[in-house]
Amino acid sequence: MALNVHERRTERQLLLILLPSLALLLAFVIYPALYSVYLSFTNEALTGAAALRPRFVGIRNYARLLNDAKFWNALLVTFLFVVGSAVIGQFVLGLVSAMALRRRIHFRRLFSSIILLPNAAPEVVAGFMWISMLAGGEQATLSRIVSFFGVTPADWLQVFPLSMIIIVNIWRGIATAMILLTAGLSTIPTEIYEAARMDGATPSQMFRRITLPLMMPTILLYMLISAVSTIAVFGLVYALTRGGPGGATELVSIYIYNQSFTAFQLGYGAAVAVVALLISLVLGIGYVRAMKVEV
Amino acid sequence: MTVISPSENANKTRSDLLAYATLSLISIFCAVPFFWVLLASLDGNAQLFLRWPEQWTLANYIRVFTKEDGAKWLFNSLFVVGGATVLVMVLAGLGGYALSRTRAWWKLPFLYAILLIRVLPPTALVVPLYKFLLTLNNAEGAILRPIFGEYARPIMRWTGFIDGYLGLILVLATMQLPLALWIMKTFFDGLPRDYEEAALMDGATLVQRIRRVLIPLALPGLAAAGLFAFMSAWGDFLLPLIFLSSPELQTLPLGLFRAFLRINEIDYGLLAALAFIYLLPAVVAFGFARRFLVQTFAGGVKG
Repeated sequence: MALNVHERRTERQLLLILLPSLALLLAFVIYPALYSVYLSFTNEALTGAAALRPRFVGIRNYARLLNDAKFWNALLVTFLFVVGSAVIGQFVLGLVSAMALRRRIHFRRLFSSIILLPNAAPEVVAGFMWISMLAGGEQATLSRIVSFFGVTPADWLQVFPLSMIIIVNIWRGIATAMILLTAGLSTIPTEIYEAARMDGATPSQMFRRITLPLMMPTILLYMLISAVSTIAVFGLVYALTRGGPGGATELVSIYIYNQSFTAFQLGYGAAVAVVALLISLVLGIGYVRAMKVEV
Repeated sequence: MTVISPSENANKTRSDLLAYATLSLISIFCAVPFFWVLLASLDGNAQLFLRWPEQWTLANYIRVFTKEDGAKWLFNSLFVVGGATVLVMVLAGLGGYALSRTRAWWKLPFLYAILLIRVLPPTALVVPLYKFLLTLNNAEGAILRPIFGEYARPIMRWTGFIDGYLGLILVLATMQLPLALWIMKTFFDGLPRDYEEAALMDGATLVQRIRRVLIPLALPGLAAAGLFAFMSAWGDFLLPLIFLSSPELQTLPLGLFRAFLRINEIDYGLLAALAFIYLLPAVVAFGFARRFLVQTFAGGVKG
């Protein structure tokens, strides 16, 4: 389509007003991402001899990753964290909330406000709230609650560290799942359910045969969004456990931070970062493709 | 035919009860941790665990601002996050308009590219970002120091890239930009072009069209983009942790985190009061953003 002179000038002006955003994204996202790849091939460090004169070391950092038990541990912990909190926990509780809130019951707004609340809490505050719930052995709030039901109190963050950060992250993300799945549910026409009821379908049949299949695109989109955002979780877990005890909650994000800013191994930390970037990019491409289908 | 049989009615009541029960349980799970912050902050002898205060007091809040650096942390947070939010609104307002109105070939690739940018985990970017900002900071210092001498230091505090407000504002804004650009693009897509075209007929330039016609119309979209940017930037802990080290520049999440690290002498009442002060703007912003939140996510689902 040929544009006339006037239109071409407008297009140029439009590009011009997009330019500042483009510049910031290039400088503070694209360049660091590429620089991360470069760093991962060097022995760059924050202090010591390597800080003054970093050398190119080829794929040595990546070779080291293969034999690094702590790295594999971080990958495994992150995988369990994502599956446990986002794929299962937030999804199930979010779906249950969304379906319950569809009914014409009282206090709907109050319920949904309360469920949205954890999402508003800043990471560090959320971390401290849960330390108050979990830490302190017999004194801990949770210990006092469960001992009422006859469960032995424990130092929850020490005994079940991974389970605890999964529960805290479920708590934080029910809202996102609920909102997305509510939007998905609202696209299913109610006539289908009425027709199924006429044919004598039970609620569980309707859920399996109508709700789930028709929700599949939304569920897929949710899974991608939540997996990507859960991989990025840092502050919440860092405030709770700082990766401990003994690496039990050392997510990839925390491992990158510890390698780079505690052990000062920037080059090696960058190699871990590149792995994290690649995993997120693969999920992200799936996310973009899912969006493309929808847009 | 809408004849409801008695058994169907009973069924309905039963599943309504089920809905109440599940929603109540989930709500309790969501709400209980908040009680600690609220109660401990008003407790004269607060503990780490949740308890009903024996003596109610506002002393913790008063101490945050008088004995501790609470006021300074609050100012730093408001300044940095406020600055980033305003920057995001301006850039996304302009950029979103461009993305909505342009018919150039790069439009769709660009929109999908910024979706991908949103996906990159910040922890994987902070090391190179830190090095890059350090380089910029050293370059800036090398220019400012010979010119301003000892006054270069206070100037760098405001305009520095590491351990200065400017660097943190720019990076915080950049992280919020992709979502804000999408929100504004979608928003402008929904605005009729009639007004702009009328203004164009009258011979208005692009700048005039933006100022007189588009900004007033775009305010709801800008409010949404601003609220989202504010909420995420306000809650962010990683970027200030890495980019700020001077005590006088600390923001609320850092002050809170450091206050908690003073093992054996943690003042839980003070900590809770500080946490509540930090929590409040986030909850208020969230309350306002709720409406947009549902729309945005729903938009993501429906396209």
